[in-house]
Amino acid sequence: MAFNFDPGVMLDTLPMLMRGLKWTALITVGGLFFGFILGAGAGLMKLSRGWAARKFAGAYVETIRGTPMLVQAMFLYFGVPMALGLRIPPLVAGIVVIAVNSGAYIAEIVRGAVQSINIGQFEAGRSIGLTRAQTMRYVIWPQAFRRMIPPLGNQFIISLKDTSLLAVIGVGELLRTGQEIVAVNFRAFEVYLTVGLVYLCMTMAIAHALRRVEKRLAARVRR
Amino acid sequence: MITIENLHKNFGGLKVLRGISLHVDKGQVVCIIGPSGSGKSTVLRCINRLERPTSGRVVVDGHDITDPSTNINLVRTEAGMVFQQFNLFPHMSVLENVTLGPRKVRRLERGQAEKLGLELLAKVGLADKAASYPDQLSGGQKQRVAIARALALQPKVILFDEPTSALDPELVGEVLEVMKRLAREGMTMVVVTHEMGFAKEVADRVIFVDQGVIQEDGPPHEFFSNPRNPRLRDFLGKVVSHT
Ligand SMILES: Nc1ncnc2c1ncn2[C@@H]1O[C@H](COP(=O)(O)OP(=O)(O)OP(=O)(O)O)[C@@H](O)[C@H]1O
Ligand SMILES: [Mg+2]
Repeated sequence: MAFNFDPGVMLDTLPMLMRGLKWTALITVGGLFFGFILGAGAGLMKLSRGWAARKFAGAYVETIRGTPMLVQAMFLYFGVPMALGLRIPPLVAGIVVIAVNSGAYIAEIVRGAVQSINIGQFEAGRSIGLTRAQTMRYVIWPQAFRRMIPPLGNQFIISLKDTSLLAVIGVGELLRTGQEIVAVNFRAFEVYLTVGLVYLCMTMAIAHALRRVEKRLAARVRR
Repeated sequence: MITIENLHKNFGGLKVLRGISLHVDKGQVVCIIGPSGSGKSTVLRCINRLERPTSGRVVVDGHDITDPSTNINLVRTEAGMVFQQFNLFPHMSVLENVTLGPRKVRRLERGQAEKLGLELLAKVGLADKAASYPDQLSGGQKQRVAIARALALQPKVILFDEPTSALDPELVGEVLEVMKRLAREGMTMVVVTHEMGFAKEVADRVIFVDQGVIQEDGPPHEFFSNPRNPRLRDFLGKVVSHT
């Protein structure tokens, strides 16, 4: 049985992938939005003076970084409902998994960026009578945030690709949609090639946008 | 204005301050000199509690900063600080640097704060730099902005930690000029410095700190012309030969 590559299949596949693409985009953006909130909270907790807060945030980061995302997804989607007796809609599960997962990595990004700011900035803020919180908000955070942008962009790309793992729990994202098409037309080569190219286009677009933002920031810092 | 009684400060096992007692009156200019590592910065940083004293008492304008019930943020507005490395906020314009304290700590409205900020920038000769960013300034200009930022809280005393040590020699003068003006206007100042000329000219008292204790404390003319303490004589000899 000779294999014959049929580019026409790829063209037919593309529009059928759009629904999955929408889910992928939604889960990535939603997941990272909540992931950033979680990560900023956990990152700042790791820097706080409170022992309990530090330990708690540390345990979260260690746990998530030390386990595969696929296991986290399956635990949340199949395991947690058994314990709680309620089903989680796939879209919600997808966003929660990406949020909780990216949050752990973003916590480290936030912590690293804040720690990279010269201690003198903190002391200068305190010396004009600002509280710890005010110093963080007006002095440290704006400077740290600029330093977070490159690693956050990188995390954006990682999380986008990670959404494909959600296919396993039946979330109708890009890869899952591809699988469904293959189940009908048996053109695995063309369909997965197309799926891969769509991911590549998205990651390249993000990387490109990121380079532009970084350039603009660099220009602003030099002024 | 400032009373320090038997101040000790340890960093782990390292005893940096070993019993400092010092009184600074309102309107006095006190210069602190001493070799590197002797604890000069630590004394200043204990005054506004950037470092917590290990033991002893520090009273600033009637507030005992070692008392946990003291509002330290309030005391810090009474005791401004100027750092060797300027520590301007790089993401803010010069005017924003100066107005941050008045706005967030003193709760002035933006307009009022900016009026005050521009007055202070004019005072340090930098009114035309209000919209600039710290990166666009020379070291001397940065330090003058830092002085304006400290003044913006209308402090009762300003602590200077080697304010000219990070500057190119030709920029030292402009900063010392601003400091001399403040001294003439009656500002209480504690200045850690290696500028012996400034100490001679401006200080009411000079203090020599070595090995975590005050070795000598006196008016500058006696201090420099007739140093009794052998360690001070040695130190002055080295400083003079370097300049
Ligand atoms: N946060 C800290 N932790 C540990 N050791 C410290 C700390 N700050 C200062 N020291 C040590 O305390 C000693 C005195 O430091 P300090 O900065 O007060 O000296 P200094 O007289 O200001 O010196 P210099 O002229 O070099 O500025 C030094 O040995 C220094 O290494
Ligand atoms: Mg010092």
